[in-house]
Amino acid sequence: MTREGAVNAVILALLAAVALAGAAGDRPFLVTLAAKVAILGLAGVGLNIALGFGGLVSFGHAAFFGLGGYVAGILASHAQNYEPVAEWPITIAGTQEMLIIWPAALAACALAAAVIGALSLRTSGIFFIMITLAFAQMLYYFAISWPAYGGEDGLPIYLRNAFPGLDTMDGLQFFALCLAALVLGVGLSWRLRDSRFGLALEAARQNPERVAAVGIRVFRVRLAAFVISAAITGLAGALYADLNRFVSPAMLSWQTSGELIVLVILGGVGRLWGPVAGAGLFVFLEHVLGGVSEYWQALLGLMLLGVVLFARGGLLGLLAGARRHG
Amino acid sequence: MAETVLELAGLSKSFGALRATDGVSLTLRRGEIHALIGPNGAGKSTLIRQITGEIAPDSGTIRFMGRDLTGLDMPARARAGLARSFQVSSVASEFTALQNVVLAVLGASGRVFGFLAPAMADLRLVGPARAHLGRVGLSGREAVRAADLSHGERRRLELAMALALRPKAFLLDEPMAGMGPEGAREMTALLAGLKREAPILLVEHDMDAVFALADRISVLVYGRIIATGTVAEIRADPAVREAYLGEEA
Ligand SMILES: Nc1ncnc2c1ncn2[C@@H]1O[C@H](COP(=O)(O)OP(=O)(O)OP(=O)(O)O)[C@@H](O)[C@H]1O
Ligand SMILES: [Mg+2]
Repeated sequence: MTREGAVNAVILALLAAVALAGAAGDRPFLVTLAAKVAILGLAGVGLNIALGFGGLVSFGHAAFFGLGGYVAGILASHAQNYEPVAEWPITIAGTQEMLIIWPAALAACALAAAVIGALSLRTSGIFFIMITLAFAQMLYYFAISWPAYGGEDGLPIYLRNAFPGLDTMDGLQFFALCLAALVLGVGLSWRLRDSRFGLALEAARQNPERVAAVGIRVFRVRLAAFVISAAITGLAGALYADLNRFVSPAMLSWQTSGELIVLVILGGVGRLWGPVAGAGLFVFLEHVLGGVSEYWQALLGLMLLGVVLFARGGLLGLLAGARRHG
Repeated sequence: MAETVLELAGLSKSFGALRATDGVSLTLRRGEIHALIGPNGAGKSTLIRQITGEIAPDSGTIRFMGRDLTGLDMPARARAGLARSFQVSSVASEFTALQNVVLAVLGASGRVFGFLAPAMADLRLVGPARAHLGRVGLSGREAVRAADLSHGERRRLELAMALALRPKAFLLDEPMAGMGPEGAREMTALLAGLKREAPILLVEHDMDAVFALADRISVLVYGRIIATGTVAEIRADPAVREAYLGEEA
């Protein structure tokens, strides 16, 4: 096994160990934290496809995280109230089935990303950052001002949505589900990175002019990456809504976008398991230091500064060495 | 007369008040190396960039293989068979030499949207890429990051990427720039063999290379072509000697 492989295995084992220890020691809080790491890690894995592989600094991925969450929340609330989501042109009933909610969340986020990406990917650099932020802010204010689904107060999900054969209200089983989704997400991003598409995407990050000069349309490659990235982050959002049994506009806020970027950078930009390591560190800091002092974010800022200045590879770069190509 | 592959007619391009390209007409014929020479700032690179589609001319037309290129973007022109090397080496610097050429083979294949199968295990990509690296003498350097290649090796890597496009014309912007005499000689030998595959529009300051390689030479000064002819004609042209070659000729 390579050193990076070993580090990845340790990350995965640590996460599972925390959840198991929490369940065994009757501390459900730990199980919830582990699930939160898995979910934020998955959201980061999604963002990493755009940000890490493609070099597309999206400051609007909260839009997809929140949209995925709202898809879960809205479908569940309709099912809970026995009201169809729509009656025209076709009747769409609410549902509490994750196996229906997830594809719906993936599709909604892919569609939103196709629109947002088609407009924002015509720009680059700071303009791209600002336009993605602007779209996310639009969704945020829309959610706040739309009373049908709780507006500012958010939308509760009374019982977690269901998955065949599992009791999702059981913390450990729900965690296992999140972990499975995370592993699938990382696996997919690994295949993507090494594929033809991934090669073109990573080349476009390094030198878009060169990529165009060999006959590849950079815009299309980036748009596809943005859509896939958003869909994965949206799936994480649907899981996050279920974890908290609650969706609110906070999921759509720019702080959420920022946190997602932070955890990708902390963990190691462009590294397969980087976002998971970053999510672990982030949640650890939030709950351990956050309990001690409300200034924990200042420390987070310092760490971020340290990573940007001295350890570009993030946590994974420190533990597993520089990433090698080829 | 050999078939015309690339034809520029009345091409003009201004940057503000500066006429960087001023009514340029020239042709590139099958089997030839057509050198484009001229002092710094004459507009050579600007001309290349209009042919590749990186910038649009203000007026004039570019025909390639009998087809008007107006309206085709850079990737479309590359796929139509225009391969280009940049004046300043332009590669994916974090990638290995082999990955860079695989990228070019991938571009030429037109099948970019494969999402699951690993590209570097695909012999349809890696096989040709290795062969192109071999042709430019970089076989032993496949696994080296492009950033760690020497300057001369990077120039040859760019040539391998151009080869990977199976081009119908090469547009090479100063391929010898910054190379030592040894590197320049090797590159000269490489280019001499290349023109049988596809004609070369060669921008170059190295006059030894130009005189050794060129079938025809055009001289560009202040955006205008002041003379076109064989090596002997250009060397004898008084206007050229005055405007450009100076004591050198
Ligand atoms: N994008 C641009 N905007 C404004 N001026 C430009 C631009 N690109 C080139 N120029 C100007 O156009 C002129 C021609 O430049 P170009 O790079 O084509 O020259 P060149 O013949 O390739 O020179 P060199 O031998 O130094 O490479 C120069 O005066 C340059 O400053
Ligand atoms: Mg130039």
